[in-house]
Formats: sequence, structure tokens, C-alpha cells
Amino acid sequence: MKHTLRSFFSFCLLLSLTLVQAQETTPVKNDPKSTKTDQMIPEAPLPLVEISPEIIKNDSIPVKTDRYGIRVGLDLFKLTRALYDENYKGIEFVGDYRLTKKYFLAAEIGNENKTTDDDRLNFTTKGSYLKAGFDYNAYENWLDMENIISIGMRYGFSTFNQQLNNYRIYNANPYFGEVPVIPSGKKFDGLSASWIEVVAGVKAKVFNNVFVGFSLRLNRLVTNKEPENFSNLYIPGFNRTYDGSFGVGFNYTVTYFVPIYKKKVKPVAVAKKAEKK
Amino acid sequence: MKKIILLVFTLALSLSSCEKDDICDANTPTTPRLVISFYDFLNPSVLKNVTNLKVVGEGMTDGIVFNAATGDAKYLTNGSTISIPLKTVGTSTSYSFTLNSGNTNPALVNVDNIKFDYTTQELFVSRACGYKTIFTLDPINPYTHTDAAVADEKWIEYISVEKSNLENENETHIKIFF
Repeated sequence: MKHTLRSFFSFCLLLSLTLVQAQETTPVKNDPKSTKTDQMIPEAPLPLVEISPEIIKNDSIPVKTDRYGIRVGLDLFKLTRALYDENYKGIEFVGDYRLTKKYFLAAEIGNENKTTDDDRLNFTTKGSYLKAGFDYNAYENWLDMENIISIGMRYGFSTFNQQLNNYRIYNANPYFGEVPVIPSGKKFDGLSASWIEVVAGVKAKVFNNVFVGFSLRLNRLVTNKEPENFSNLYIPGFNRTYDGSFGVGFNYTVTYFVPIYKKKVKPVAVAKKAEKK
Repeated sequence: MKKIILLVFTLALSLSSCEKDDICDANTPTTPRLVISFYDFLNPSVLKNVTNLKVVGEGMTDGIVFNAATGDAKYLTNGSTISIPLKTVGTSTSYSFTLNSGNTNPALVNVDNIKFDYTTQELFVSRACGYKTIFTLDPINPYTHTDAAVADEKWIEYISVEKSNLENENETHIKIFF
């Protein structure tokens, strides 16, 4: 728990640093030509220069383009957790594809092997999962920025098995003494679960095509194939289950954007004004 | 932007802080005890209170605590119903039932032994409670009633098994007539 918290905070710190970097704007150097004033006094009046409208055209805003493509990467939180948590092994690949200006097709695929050690139970969960859905980017980027603050949905599906390593009998009246831990080793195969996730996420471009991001997820179980005389207390991809059907998730991703094509952004506001006239 | 990040972090922290809060609720039905009710042998439909009954498990020095009194009085009961735990390891539990325990007149003190035979089954309850054991009394020999080493007349006249499946404590499993 202590380690989890410590690493969580360090992640937050790392995250905030990268975000700060992403938000940093390099000061634009003033064009030396524009500030240069002519010291020389003209001897003769300046000849009239015909100003062509073409010059004004050059002064206008360059055409903005949006890049479309696939973003692929992995979850660093799951990957690094294996370093400090000997009861955990897991990997998650993430990817999204930009459908429109605001919408992204998004998916996660992963595998987990987690041993949960509770007061009364110790069990190992192994399995794979797939989540697919969409993200909606609610962030209005300036110029050629490509940051994302998104809200999205996923449908997750997981197949897994559980192995009960040991357990304890709960006896509220331990007259004959507390019952010791009973080793089991019983395996429950062929389990599955599916759920819906609501995802809130942030992705920031740190350099070139590399993005870092994190997301928080609120999960709700839809189906859950429970083992006989045991329960799915942990589901790969869904994480820990609670008494209700809700759960939470988190990931910290590093992704690489592979551009496929560009699309010009239509200046919407200007067009509307023109129509009114 | 900053506000959103702050909100997200507080949310994450509040969620991570409520992870290990589940302890087994006392109202959750877990391993049941054996519920015994005492009836009048002469009037079998009427409950009868025992007088200073002490119940001690085999191999135990102290009796089962029945009330909050101090000293030896906490092992005594004067009610008509008792609940006694069975061993979750093994398939039999023996108890000695001492009537008029602690009485100054040794002629009134009477000890009977009952051995209960059963099979156990372990059922999953929850993450916080783990498993519980439920018992099924042996259909042929659910109990063995013997007199104590000091041979006097057995004070228990008749034992009847009301419920051989011990799944909860809401019902009487065994009726003792005396």
C-alpha cells in the first residue's frame, strides 16, 4: 500500500511535469527587420509605392490542418507495477484512431496476472481483456496543438481464471480457537465478465508525435460469470470488484502518433458572417 | 485545465483511500452455532428454563460464556435456549452439560455428556468474511448421549433433532427434554 501510494504520487509528479512542458510556450523572438528603423533622412520625397492587394493576402492566417492517424502505445502504470509489486504482472496496449475532428475510436487490450492477498483470502487471477469504444475530445486546440481532454465510453470484455490459494473460515465464536489458514489451490476456469466504462482522460503532446496521457475510469459490470462457491473479486481490466457492480480503473499511457492524412480546417466562423451579409 | 487536473487528482486520491475498509459485518450470517432449546419432559410443548447450566467443550478448561457477569457466573445460563459452537475442523464435538453447576449441594450437580457427529461444508461468504462452515448432523447417529464419569442418573431425558442442516442460527436445531 505504501509503495502503491509512493509510486502513485511520483506518477502524478511526472505527469504534471510533462503537462507543464506541454503547455510551455517558447517566447517568439521579434523580427529584427520589423523593429529596425531607418536612420537615414531621405533627400527626396519617397516615391509612391503601389500597394497591391496581394500583399495583404500574404498577411492572412495560414490554413490550419488537422492530422488524422493512428495512435499506439502502452500503459506504463501496469508495466512498472511489476517492478515493485511481486504479486502483479500485467501489460496493456492502447490505441486510437481519429475518426472526425472530435471523435476517436479507442481500444485497449491487455493481460494481467495478479495475486490478491486479503485478510481471509489469497487468490490469483489470470486473464486477458479487450476494451473498445470512443473518445470525445472536448479541448479546443490553438493553432497546431494536438492535446486532448476527453470523455469516452468503452465496452470491456475479459476471460480469465481464478485460483484460490488459501482461505480462512470466519467463525464469530472462536471457542475452540481460531481456525488456521487452510491451503486450497482450487482452480476456477472459464470465467468471463463484461462491463461498461466511462473514461475521462488527458493526452498531451510532449514532442513530435509522442503523447503522454492518463485516464480515470468508472466501470459498471454488465455480465459476470461467477465461479461456484467463490466470487470474481478481481477481474482483469475491470480491477477489484466491490459489493455493488461498480469499479474504478486508471492508466498512464505513452503513445506514438502515426499520421496517415491531413485535413484542412474550414474557418467556420468567417463563413457564417459571410452568409449573413 | 488546472481545475480539471485538480479535480481528477482529488477523485483519484479519495478512491484510493477507501480501499481497505471492508471488515466482516457482524450481521453477516457466517459459521452457525448449534442452537439447543430446553423443553419440559412432562409437558413437551412448553419451554423450560435450566438452572445454572454450564457447558464445557471436551478438552477445554473454561465453559462457554453465556452472559456478561464476572467470575464463574458468566459460564452459567438460566435460560431456555443456548447456542454452542461446533468445531470446524473434524467431524465431531463433545460437550459436558452440567446442571446446577457450582451448587453447594453435590447431590444436585449432574453432568451429562453429548457428542455431536456431523459433516462439514465450506461456503464462500464474501471478501471480508472469507468462507463459512455449515454442518450436517449425521443422519444415523447425530448425537451420543452418555453419563459423566460419576455415575448418577442422566438429567437429560430425551434429545430430538429438529433440523439436521445447520445453516443459520435463526432456528432450533436440537430440542432437549428434561
